[in-house]
Amino acid sequence: MFRFVIQSLILIFSYGNFIYSQSCDLILKGEITDLHDNSLLIGAFVSIQGTNFFSQTDLDGSYKIKGLCPGKYNLVISHPKCISINKKLNIKQSRVYNLELEHHINELDEIIVTDSKISKLRKSIQEVSLNISDINSYGSNTLVEALNYIPGASILKTGNSIGKPIIHGMYGSRVGIITDDFRQYDQQWGPDHAPNIDFDSFDIIQLIKGAAALKYGGDTSAGSIILSSKRKKLKDTLFGKSSINIESNGRGGKFSSRLEKNYSNGFYINGNFTGKRYGDFNTPNHILSNSGFKEANFSIKLGKDLINKGWNLKYSSYNLEPGILKSSHIGNVQDLFYALNSNEPSIINDFTYNIEAPKQLAKHQKLTLRYFKSFENNTKLELGYNFQNNKRKEFDIRRGGRTEIPVVDLLLKTHTLNVSLSGIDIKNWDFELGINGFFQDNFSTPDTGVKRLIPDYIKFETGIYFLGNFQKNNSFLWEWGLRLDHVSYDSKKYYYKSVWNERNYNILFQGFETGQDFANQILTNPKFNYLNLSAQTGVSLNISNELKLKMSYILSQRAPNPSELFSDGLHHAMAAIEYGSLSIEPETSHKVLFSFSKNDKKYNWSLEPYISKTFGYIFIEPTGLKQTIRGAFPVWSYDSTEAFLTGIDINSSISINRRLMFDVGASYTYAQDVINKNPIILIPPLNTFQKLKFTPLKGKWSLEFTHQTSAKQNRFPNSNFIFDYIEDGKLVSETVDISDSPRGFQKLDAIFSILIGNKNNIRSNLRLIIQNITNSDYRDYLNRMRFYSSEIGRNFQIQLNFNY
Amino acid sequence: MKNFLKKASLLYLPLLTILIYSCSKDDPDGINEEEFISNVVISVTSPDGSLQTIDWDLSETNMETINLKANSNYSVGLSFENRSDPTDIEDVTLEIIDEADEHQVFFEFADVSVDVTSANNDTKVGSRGVLLKSVWNASSTGSGIVRVYLIHQPTNFNATNREGFGGFNDVSIDIPVSITD
Repeated sequence: MFRFVIQSLILIFSYGNFIYSQSCDLILKGEITDLHDNSLLIGAFVSIQGTNFFSQTDLDGSYKIKGLCPGKYNLVISHPKCISINKKLNIKQSRVYNLELEHHINELDEIIVTDSKISKLRKSIQEVSLNISDINSYGSNTLVEALNYIPGASILKTGNSIGKPIIHGMYGSRVGIITDDFRQYDQQWGPDHAPNIDFDSFDIIQLIKGAAALKYGGDTSAGSIILSSKRKKLKDTLFGKSSINIESNGRGGKFSSRLEKNYSNGFYINGNFTGKRYGDFNTPNHILSNSGFKEANFSIKLGKDLINKGWNLKYSSYNLEPGILKSSHIGNVQDLFYALNSNEPSIINDFTYNIEAPKQLAKHQKLTLRYFKSFENNTKLELGYNFQNNKRKEFDIRRGGRTEIPVVDLLLKTHTLNVSLSGIDIKNWDFELGINGFFQDNFSTPDTGVKRLIPDYIKFETGIYFLGNFQKNNSFLWEWGLRLDHVSYDSKKYYYKSVWNERNYNILFQGFETGQDFANQILTNPKFNYLNLSAQTGVSLNISNELKLKMSYILSQRAPNPSELFSDGLHHAMAAIEYGSLSIEPETSHKVLFSFSKNDKKYNWSLEPYISKTFGYIFIEPTGLKQTIRGAFPVWSYDSTEAFLTGIDINSSISINRRLMFDVGASYTYAQDVINKNPIILIPPLNTFQKLKFTPLKGKWSLEFTHQTSAKQNRFPNSNFIFDYIEDGKLVSETVDISDSPRGFQKLDAIFSILIGNKNNIRSNLRLIIQNITNSDYRDYLNRMRFYSSEIGRNFQIQLNFNY
Repeated sequence: MKNFLKKASLLYLPLLTILIYSCSKDDPDGINEEEFISNVVISVTSPDGSLQTIDWDLSETNMETINLKANSNYSVGLSFENRSDPTDIEDVTLEIIDEADEHQVFFEFADVSVDVTSANNDTKVGSRGVLLKSVWNASSTGSGIVRVYLIHQPTNFNATNREGFGGFNDVSIDIPVSITD
């Protein structure tokens, strides 16, 4: 009986390859052309899976397979310079079947996303790609929110509108963000600084866990997030998309629109606009006063793309004005103590769209010019220049009518120049080499009347890299890369003489003293030079058609960032005095990643464990109390230690039947400061994600439920401190517990999506989204505002999308 | 290969550009912290007209004690100064008087019992005294401390303990108090 069942199952599963014994004289033929310029592709290989039938395209780009029996076939079309594609075909009679293939032109732009998540075959490192439209479908309105759906990635939040990506427990300068082939340079060192990027103007977001993107830098030991656009088709087309989002929580919405015109000669022009406006958000129980935000972005890109050469010019402007929760503005530890002991924020006003101090203002402008040319031997030369102008202002509640004057006012200008030569093929080897030049100027205006948070500095960086990979067949790839960076800082900073001497800088760094004084401050000129080496090597093995194994080792070195070197002052929201350290050396990180994955039609899973050790890991720790006119403040100082991090990301996707899809994922990170034998702060707790999606067989709608859980983080360092206050005429001492993590939480979302029109080339789609259905009241360990308020409550969203 | 080298030499172009582009940062202007309060000056006038002035600053070396006699009315004046630039001393009290509607001074005593009322010449917002000028009267002898607060944007102006006021502290300092017969 059992045997019979097995045999039946085998019969059922092999149905696709089952060949009928009818007249086997059918012919399949056609032409294969390039997707971009309709040119004929010579030497493309067409084969039928599970059979010996194959054909190669001739000089006319055509192929022919004779002697086929009627039936269902799986066609594999490949070309040395293209991504292979699979097509299912039901052949009843001889037929012509023309195909288009995507030519490899640009490493990043070429990715065709066939599913919401793809892992690239060609790399030895784990990569996750998401379509921006999928991200939108979750109802996520910020780039980093979208990362919540990728195991291994999380968000470090400051309130509900400011988020930074965390990859494998690390964030800030350890995570690289790359847009249009260039690193993003805003004030990324700050935990409360969101990446200044409009993700609606891109198509694809890739997450690389580990410093494998050596092309862009070797210092991002946690990983990189790469945002890119799809390649253009060389056809005369005009298309675009628009979407409108209306949300109940925050009583606001988002509008975004894109229009793109392509010409058959390769020229294209496109424009993007995104606007967002939200008022005060609310938790299940109360309004979060001053938590609204405004955002307006636009970009324009024009260029010409041909197979062997192309150029493009892009300008983008990003403008964000987020309010900071009113009750998080505190004067000293006493205020923090009261906030911690209260269940609700100390200030709850009526709902408003107004954004008042404390607030931030971020403007990011970016200009990119790129050019590429391919030569006969397939080598490709790329030149790129990028200029980024980042303005950042932070407003606080001030005395004497100064609230309108920012307390932080920074202007960061970054110029980057990239030159690379890729596609250098020697036998089974493929090489790429390149050089990056970088010049950055930070200016902090003295008009704030507040001591500079980050001093004026000039930073130079030169990097050279050499990458190679060896691929003999489709089942084995070995790749490696080397990168050398030279980083130099030339900074001018005023220190209070008392601080300069207290920290022994007058002895250790006497050479930095300029001899110029200002009142009780001393002007110094700290200069630093660092030479950093980074390297990566890995293999990708296809054990079988479905089973894949990847292993990689990454070495990365990172020079300290300005905040780690120069921080010097009071951090309001944390009621802490933060000190950088001029003695900090670059950190060196070793990371080993494994990835086992299985992909078949019904059941996909991947297991991705990793382990890393960082020497000279730069971190901030409490080092005592300091008396100020506002009372005693805990002092946090940057120092270095040895960090050990390990963890695992698990992802699985199951087709229960043709209507039901079930996705489940989980990730866990363990992080330990080896020298001080302490857990590392702000590490994501164990979290899981599951999704059930129902799509009727011929229906135009779908319904999905997502469920996220986050356990309590039981591993956190003790940063508590004692403070005393007066109660009933007595001085009492109390512990201020800023270390403990909130209890675990779960969150349930539902998304209903329906196609409402598909006429005159306009596809319109309506989505109804409910986030936090149960209106659960929870706090997130990774939200720096958790001391002051809960996360936001239930939210209804209506989303209308038009594609034309 | 020759062709390859030629192409590779192109890579050195940006390096050259960077080397040429070597410059240094201009000296930034010094910043005199505008909102900073460096000193709290408390002047305590006894009923017989003798004056005790306590000048509190961060050096913590001159932790003088306020000496009071029990059951006597003392006039206590409070002023806030920014002396971080000795050549440009700023009286921050004026700013507080200007913004009296969002400031409140509060004295909280530990181990001593002192009654504080707004003085006639105090800055007032309606009937509320900001307590920049106040009258102190100690009911019993002893020694303890007074915590002097300057609260910005309190949510409640008539609280009896610090928590009740809400808002945030611009000043919070402790001064020893000694009360004798």
